Order: sequence, then structure tokens, then C-alpha cells
Amino acid sequence: MEERLKIVIVGHVDHGKSTLIGRLLYDTDSLPESKLKEIKEFCEALGKDVEFGYVLDHLEEERKQGVTIDTTQTFFKTKKREYVIIDAPGHVEFLKNMITGASHAEAAILIVDAEEGVKEQTKRHAYILGMLGLKQVIVVINKMDLVDYKKERFEEVKKEIIEFLKSLNIEPKYIIPISAKEGDFIAKKTEKLNWFDGPTVLEALDGFSKSDELDKKPLRFPVQDVYNFDKRIIAGRIASGIITEGDEIIVFPSKEVTKVKSIEEYNKILKEASAGKSIGIITEDKVFVDRGDVITKKGEPAPIVTDTIKGHVFWMDPTPFKEGERVLFKCATQEVMCDIEVKRVIDSSNLEVLSEDATTIENRQVADVIIKTEKPIVVENFNDIPSLGRFVLQREDTCAGGIITGFGE
Amino acid sequence: MIVVIAIDALEYNLVEKFNYKNLKQEKYGKTDISEFSQPRTMVLWSSFMTGENKENEILALGDKKMWNYQIDIKDTFFSKFKNPKVIDLPGFSYDLDEHKKERELLKAFFEAKTQEEKEKIKKEYNQRSLEHHKKIKNEFEKAIKGEHDFVLGYFSAIDVIGHLNFGNKILMKMLYKDMDELAKKVRTLGYPVLILSDHGMKAIGNFGDHSEYGFWSVNFETNLKNPKITDFKNLILDVMKEKDKEFK
Repeated sequence: MEERLKIVIVGHVDHGKSTLIGRLLYDTDSLPESKLKEIKEFCEALGKDVEFGYVLDHLEEERKQGVTIDTTQTFFKTKKREYVIIDAPGHVEFLKNMITGASHAEAAILIVDAEEGVKEQTKRHAYILGMLGLKQVIVVINKMDLVDYKKERFEEVKKEIIEFLKSLNIEPKYIIPISAKEGDFIAKKTEKLNWFDGPTVLEALDGFSKSDELDKKPLRFPVQDVYNFDKRIIAGRIASGIITEGDEIIVFPSKEVTKVKSIEEYNKILKEASAGKSIGIITEDKVFVDRGDVITKKGEPAPIVTDTIKGHVFWMDPTPFKEGERVLFKCATQEVMCDIEVKRVIDSSNLEVLSEDATTIENRQVADVIIKTEKPIVVENFNDIPSLGRFVLQREDTCAGGIITGFGE
Repeated sequence: MIVVIAIDALEYNLVEKFNYKNLKQEKYGKTDISEFSQPRTMVLWSSFMTGENKENEILALGDKKMWNYQIDIKDTFFSKFKNPKVIDLPGFSYDLDEHKKERELLKAFFEAKTQEEKEKIKKEYNQRSLEHHKKIKNEFEKAIKGEHDFVLGYFSAIDVIGHLNFGNKILMKMLYKDMDELAKKVRTLGYPVLILSDHGMKAIGNFGDHSEYGFWSVNFETNLKNPKITDFKNLILDVMKEKDKEFK
């Protein structure tokens, strides 16, 4: 399968997000020709330049009519790889999707208007990027055409945004002056910005790596079930890394060591299997292993085993959480009761901080929390190995989704 | 100066959906046209400028003749102004030939036998309407910079193009945006502005038909609630009286 990188474009509502997406699709020939022709003709007849924001409206219409199968994603392609733009219709949906795993952006473009500079919404969106720990961030200073492509204005806005992002521990990889409307520095370098010697937006994106090259990471194999037939099969889905016949493996948290005798997948014997595969393994020794354990490889970095994690949760239950209540914590195949200490609480609809030291979390609020589990669990940072860095909290039904950003007190 | 942007078939629900703030202005809503048996363009604008329900009089002329109907300025509230400019308004300063051609093309579209023929006619129809739209816009933009004490520009493209393209939301959005941009320009001049439609538009498949209410918005204080199209005559005159104590 062709490589595909998921990106999200965030920023203040009027700073040109739609135009940038439309321009990215246009410059990479990702649009149906007939529709584009109609939009062009109509713009010309109205005596206007082609507005790329309309391209998005067209895609939106298609989705409503069910023409495009996917309902939330937009694609474009460069020579290097395919890109998926994850739709972020509003803060609530974006946060919910990112935290619960419905979508997982690997890179972000933060858009800032050259004329207006950093606005409140720019800050709030940047805050989400910081919260999610996204490292591959491009800042584009858009609408350079409105400031006569002046380097001085670019430098001013650049300084403003860098200072703010620094406070969130975000260090953008690139800061690029662009005009999405005119097509400057999206796919091609143009004379109007000849004082800028950095990459175009597409070049910058192509310079990013896929964060989920999970098979290059240490082996994490959460055990789903153990079947005792004529042989004992340990079944699960590989979260990261590669498992090979003959590997010396360690079962966490017991730390018992054994060797992989064979690997199976649907009555098929495999020599090795990598991240994403659902497999069963047979071990040489009859070690104690159960659902919820995590198998790792000897010689590779060990996982984090802890009973205290830091993270962010998105509450999605009408019944609020109150400190003192115990809920079920589920991460990969692990399930354990936990206590939650609430810190900062944010309203997901406007990203306003409601309290720095809250004791309750209400529906659609996002909270920074410290979770104490009844017994140690095997976890990872959300940005390292997502399936071991993401959890759900449950009462009778799921009441929250969350991501792990730190460990210990 | 008082400025009226008269937009045929500007639909309340689409203004809401696209959230065009310059069209909405400070206060906006639906007009009540339930006193009329049908939402007819000529009837509604004639009633607007006279402040009287003109339905019986105009419908009696029949479908063809009604388009040629013209009201004398002394029978309209425009006569209260010293130097009014009213551009292309049905029943008053309507470009009869141009709009007749548009109606003929619309008829030809529905009579065309093949899809190919229909597409060809639709293209010509859209282009023609947009050309006219641009012309009226130019004239209107000149007028609001002039010495008039009242300027009204009537814009028909949203209605004309909407009839054949209402299902094409991108085209509709482009037109609404164009009107929003025009409203923005007008609003920056600082005059009282009324944006008014005769009726709105509803979808009939991919086509559009008139809806049973209109749209209004103003950038000044008013107690108007659920107004009738005949109420705007007095509203405009009252605003003018407040602005100019000598205005009668």
C-alpha cells in the first residue's frame, strides 16, 4: 500500500483554512476537472479570481450526496506519498476524534493571517496541538498578498507565533510565508517571495516522516486471549514492532521469559509478523500469561510499567465525573479499576480553561488528569505507540476517552 | 442617503446557512407575505414601492402583460426624495428586454428535448444573467457614490440562476457571497441600509421555486417584527425624517 500521512489544518476561522485546502487539492491535481471548470467559469463571469474555498464546498456537497465514500477525509498526492486531510469541523469534534482515536493526525499545519497576526482562536488551536503532543508542525503565514509580500511583516508575525508556541512547548519545523489564494509557496516557489529561502508547503510536508512506522519500534504484543487446544495459543494484535520465530520474549508485568516456538495466522504458519497483524503465538515454555499482559522482546527497550499516569481525557457521558468515584480503566486489553485526580478542565467547545484545579469533569469537557490504577499497567506515551497510549474509562458504558502523556507523580 | 439592496429570491434559510454577516446586518428576519395568494415578483415589488397590496391589479393583467406594468413615480414613495435613483426595479425601472430574454431562455430550457440542448441553454442563461448582474452592480456602485438621497439597486441573479441551479449549492453560495461583499461595501459608507427580498427560494429537485416568505435586514434600530412588504415604505420614510428634519 502506498504511504499515507494524516494531517490536520488548524487556525482561526477566517485565516484561510478552506482556501489552503482547496489550493493544496488544486495544485496537486486532486480535483475533478469538470467541477473545477464550472467554478472557474462562474468566478470569471462574476469578475473574480477563482476562489479555492469553493472547492471544499464542492467536496462537502459530494459527501452529502454520498458520492465520496469517506465522510471526513480529503486526499491529495505528491510524488512522495499520499496525504489525508482530517476534517476538523469544530473544536469538540476535533478533540473528541483525536483523543478517542477516531482520527490520529501525524502532522499539523497551523495557519495564521499575515495581516491579522495571532488571534485568540490561533492560540486555542495551537493549544490542542500542544496537548496532543504533535511534533510535526508547520506554521504558514497566509495572505502574504495582502501585506505586499513584505518580509518585515512576515518576520513580525513569525516572532509573535514562535513566542506563543514556545510557551506550549511546540517548536514548529517550518514557518512558511504563503498566499493560498495566489498559490505562492504551496506547490511552487514564486518570485514575489524571493527573499524566503525555505521550502514550499508541499516540500515541508514531504520532509515529515510517518510517526506510525510502528514496526520499527520495540515489540508490544498485548494479549487478547489464551486458548488451550492441543497446543496453547496466545492470541492478540501486535501494537508495535516485529515478532520472529525463535525470539526471546518477556511477558509483562510478570517479567517471565520464554521463546517464540511458532507464529500462526489463520491456519497459516508465519516466520515473523509485524505491527497491525492479528496473530497467535506458541511459546517453548508454559509461562504464566493472561489477557491484559503485554509481550515484549528481550534486548529491546522495556515498556513502562506503572500505576500512575498523566493524561488528558475527553468526557462524553451526561453524568459528570466527581473525584472519589472509581471507574474502569481500559488500555489495549488491560482492564483495571482506577482513581482519578482532576487538574485543569477545559470547555471543548471554546477551549476556555474553566478551572486549574477542578474536582469534577462534565460532558464534553477535556481534563488534565492523574490516574492511579489498582495495580501496575503496561503503557506508553500516546505519541510513541498509540494503542498503548490511549485508554477509555468506563462505568456501565464508556464515559471518556483519553491519551497518556506522562508517567508517575 | 438611504440605500436599499433589493435582492430577488434571497432565501432566509440560505443566508442563515452560509452565515453571511453583511447580508444579515444588525437586525434581520423573514417577511410575512401570506396576504398574497402567490409569491410573485412583480406583485411584491409593486406593493413594496407603493405601500399597498397590488396583487389584484397586477394579476388581472395576466402572465405576459404583467411584466410591462410600470408605476408612475408619483404613486411610489420614491417621489418623496429629491434625487432618487432606482435601478432595474420590476414595475418601475425594469430592463424589459433583458428580463424578457431571460424568461424566454428559461422557457426554452424546459421545452428542450435533449440533455445536450438543455445544458447549452442553461449555460447561455447563466452567463446572460451574470452579465446583467455585473452591469447592475457597476451602476449601483456608481450611484451610491453619487449625490442621491435614495438609491435602490435590484439584483435578480439569485432568482434567475436559482430557478435552474438551486441544487448546485456552490453556485448559489458564490452568488450569495457576491451579494454579501456588495453589502459590505455599501455598509462601510455609513448610510442606513435595508436589504430586502420579495420572496425566498425552495428546492424542487435541482431547480428552485419561490418560497412563501421574504428576507429583510437593516443596520439601524427598528421595532419591526415579522414585517409585511408594504411596511417598508413607512420604515424608510421614518428613517429619512429622523435623518433630515426638513424631509416631509
